[in-house]
Amino acid sequence: MEDKDVRKENHTDSKIAGDGSADPRIIAFVCNWCTYSGADLAGTSRMKYSDNVRVIKLPCTGRIDPLFIVEAFKKGAKGVLVSGCHPGDCHYTSGNYHSRRKYATFRDLLGYLGVDLDRVEFSWVSASEGNKWVSIINEFTDKIKSLPGKSTDIFTKK
Amino acid sequence: MANTKIDEKLQKIAKDLLESGEVSLIIGYAKGSNPQRMRPVFITKAEEAGKLSFSHYAVQDLAVFLKKPEVKKFGKIGIVVKGCDEKAVNALIQEYQISRDNIKIIGIECNGVIRQNLADKGETGVSESTVYDKCLICEEHIPVLYDFLIESEEPKLALSGNVKPYYGIEKLESMSAEEKNAFWAKEFDKCIKCYACRQACPLCYCSRCIVEKNMPQWIDTNSEETGNAQWNLIRAYHLSGRCIGCGECERACPVNIPLMLINEKMAKDVYNLFGYKSGLDINAKPVFGVFSESDFNDFIK
Repeated sequence: MEDKDVRKENHTDSKIAGDGSADPRIIAFVCNWCTYSGADLAGTSRMKYSDNVRVIKLPCTGRIDPLFIVEAFKKGAKGVLVSGCHPGDCHYTSGNYHSRRKYATFRDLLGYLGVDLDRVEFSWVSASEGNKWVSIINEFTDKIKSLPGKSTDIFTKK
Repeated sequence: MANTKIDEKLQKIAKDLLESGEVSLIIGYAKGSNPQRMRPVFITKAEEAGKLSFSHYAVQDLAVFLKKPEVKKFGKIGIVVKGCDEKAVNALIQEYQISRDNIKIIGIECNGVIRQNLADKGETGVSESTVYDKCLICEEHIPVLYDFLIESEEPKLALSGNVKPYYGIEKLESMSAEEKNAFWAKEFDKCIKCYACRQACPLCYCSRCIVEKNMPQWIDTNSEETGNAQWNLIRAYHLSGRCIGCGECERACPVNIPLMLINEKMAKDVYNLFGYKSGLDINAKPVFGVFSESDFNDFIK
């Protein structure tokens, strides 16, 4: 009985969304080899960064389907960050090049359909760039917080 | 009304192809029960070739049938195409859905097809204001690839420049995010999730569409705002860089969502970003199948 309740709570949209624009939730889809290690470095170096971000680790930016971004918005995330290895550094040689093509177009499509492009961010963060990770997260959080109160998009239920 | 010379040439080509056994099926247009409409016809016997016809009412993109297993089983297929439809055949060849060896392309020079809603009201003339937007921007009046070409005897479509094709794109681009959001929310609100846009599309050939995958369920299948927006976004995304602009999705849409405003915008963006236009070269690699180290990088921090 107790287990069931916990499960339910974890899966409610409000849990992911946070409780409004004061504490916006940001979902970061990161690659295993560079950005995740970069974020790890930031952690082990005891650097502080905004706790609004929720990191989801995937093998490669090439694995991050644009549907993931849509899903995050649908579940109420205010911002979505996609981050991976610098061009040329991909563990799978070309995953990030392919994803760069995908996201250049997908970003245009999102903007065209009325999603505020300040709410999606893409970055290259290598395993040694803990500093860069911290500054990207902090800047992105500030940007999301400064967005006009109720920024709706076509994925949110009215 | 009948454009007999073109019809005769068409029928002769079809007859020869079927008699010589070069193809076992010809997909073409026949006159519909309503004189203002053409319907698709499937010819398997040489003596039936007389049914074939073509006119400026031949709106449908017949390449859509090439994705069907019941058509594929015929093996060698002949198809009657306009310039725009032919690009769909090229894209299918590029994506290894059909083989160039198995298809005989009977290309027809086309000067524009009349909007079906106007044709139904009795419109008979091809002019700037009666044809589809795709015809106004058409650069392939003569198909880019063909085995047989039937030239048109009609005058070329005269363009005065007063009618702006896909004007809605410019208008939308100048809007703010909220305005765009309001526009599309209103349009997608009409969607009834019938997937006619997908069925009518020659390039939507997945045997199991993403919307039918339910482990996990990425796209809400119920017809409400969230699911509608997701569906229309993903449909457009899966066609960006691939859409050849035949406009069949928009024509099939029972609630008149201006889908071509999205498709054309994506085609424009892909061209601006990667210099690629879909369906022009069967030897070109699909735009998302390749990459360049110097790709557009400005949006990435």
